[in-house]
Amino acid sequence: MGEVIVVTSGKGGVGKTTTTANIGTGLASLGKKVVLVDTDIGLRNLDVVMGLENRIVYDLIDVSDGNCRLKQALIKDKRFDDRLFLLPAAQTKDKNAISEQQMKDLCATLKEEFDYTIIDCPAGIEQGFKNAIAGAEKALVITTPEVSAVRDADRIIGLLEAAELPDPRLIINRLRPAMVKQGDMMDIDDMIDILAVSLLGVVPEDEKIVVSTNRGEPAVLDEMSLAGEAYRNISRRLTGEEVPLMNLDVNDGLMGRLRKLFGFSK
Amino acid sequence: MTDKTFASEREEDGIQQKEQGRPPVDEMQTILIKKTMRSGQIIRYPGNVVVMGDVNPGAEIIAGGNIVVMGFLRGVAHAGAAGTDDKIVTAFRLRPTQLRIANHITRAPDEQPEAYPEYPELARIKNGVVVIDRYVPGDKQKA
Repeated sequence: MGEVIVVTSGKGGVGKTTTTANIGTGLASLGKKVVLVDTDIGLRNLDVVMGLENRIVYDLIDVSDGNCRLKQALIKDKRFDDRLFLLPAAQTKDKNAISEQQMKDLCATLKEEFDYTIIDCPAGIEQGFKNAIAGAEKALVITTPEVSAVRDADRIIGLLEAAELPDPRLIINRLRPAMVKQGDMMDIDDMIDILAVSLLGVVPEDEKIVVSTNRGEPAVLDEMSLAGEAYRNISRRLTGEEVPLMNLDVNDGLMGRLRKLFGFSK
Repeated sequence: MTDKTFASEREEDGIQQKEQGRPPVDEMQTILIKKTMRSGQIIRYPGNVVVMGDVNPGAEIIAGGNIVVMGFLRGVAHAGAAGTDDKIVTAFRLRPTQLRIANHITRAPDEQPEAYPEYPELARIKNGVVVIDRYVPGDKQKA
């Protein structure tokens, strides 16, 4: 029996899809069996970010309408033999093409077979959101260090509580440590103070994400990417492992880096 | 989650819950909210409202009576909503987006202060304006 986790945020553009792709890939690299479900019907993206767009034959709605068997719609990611699958969203339908009950049934079937079922939720709080959370047992809330994103995350946490999905875990995305240090960006404590939920990880702003998203190769697979490392850590935390937060200090310069190299960092 | 002994109208996430067949609530009765109120959540209650938790930005409390927040009040609070201006709003940390008592409306200054007061405060109407003072336990808090 696996876990069903929904990745949600309320606000658009904060990194739900990127996070879903990276956590899914990260968990698969840890040897877990993972399926990613894109519920952003009509605006599907997860397939593009995963680099699997050209292999879509059937989609989520074909499965829920009974046009094909679930197995036929699952796209295997060749980088991970038989451990990472994608169930893409339909692009020509809308959010009402599937019901909450159908999502529940689907998630129940998927969790029989997969260690992790990760659901990429659409932006907003309407039917698409309700469908995405219907079958989930756990929730990850993504926010960026912006007042608007934090406000929406707060609203989402309230809605998750009302839907009996309490204690979501928070991922802070696109943090710029240098700006935080200058007092120009909300820091982690400011956000935790308001949202009052447990922190799963902090992902620093990283230009490599743009490149990896465009190429369809999740950043977790890039050993040199800082964001990739953050996502690797988050994936390990999801499996129950205790991994300390990454040191995002920017002070460094040459001496700092040398000190770190020789193990004198704090 | 909430005390449902009294008739109350609670609006949460767009769903209005009305409880009928209960005795009418007056300003003297009190509801206890034992959770943090998040953006989009509204409590409307004819009596007093006590929140054990924070009231986040985007959350709203509209009370016929007084409002007491045992946490950070960052959202909107309206005390004495029926027009009674002897009502108060008090919070462990009073940082509301907007504060209303009876038909008086105030908001936080546009420029952020250097530092916020790190003690409980109390808002009430004095001589026709909303004033905010340090909360002193046992003080005769009537205007």
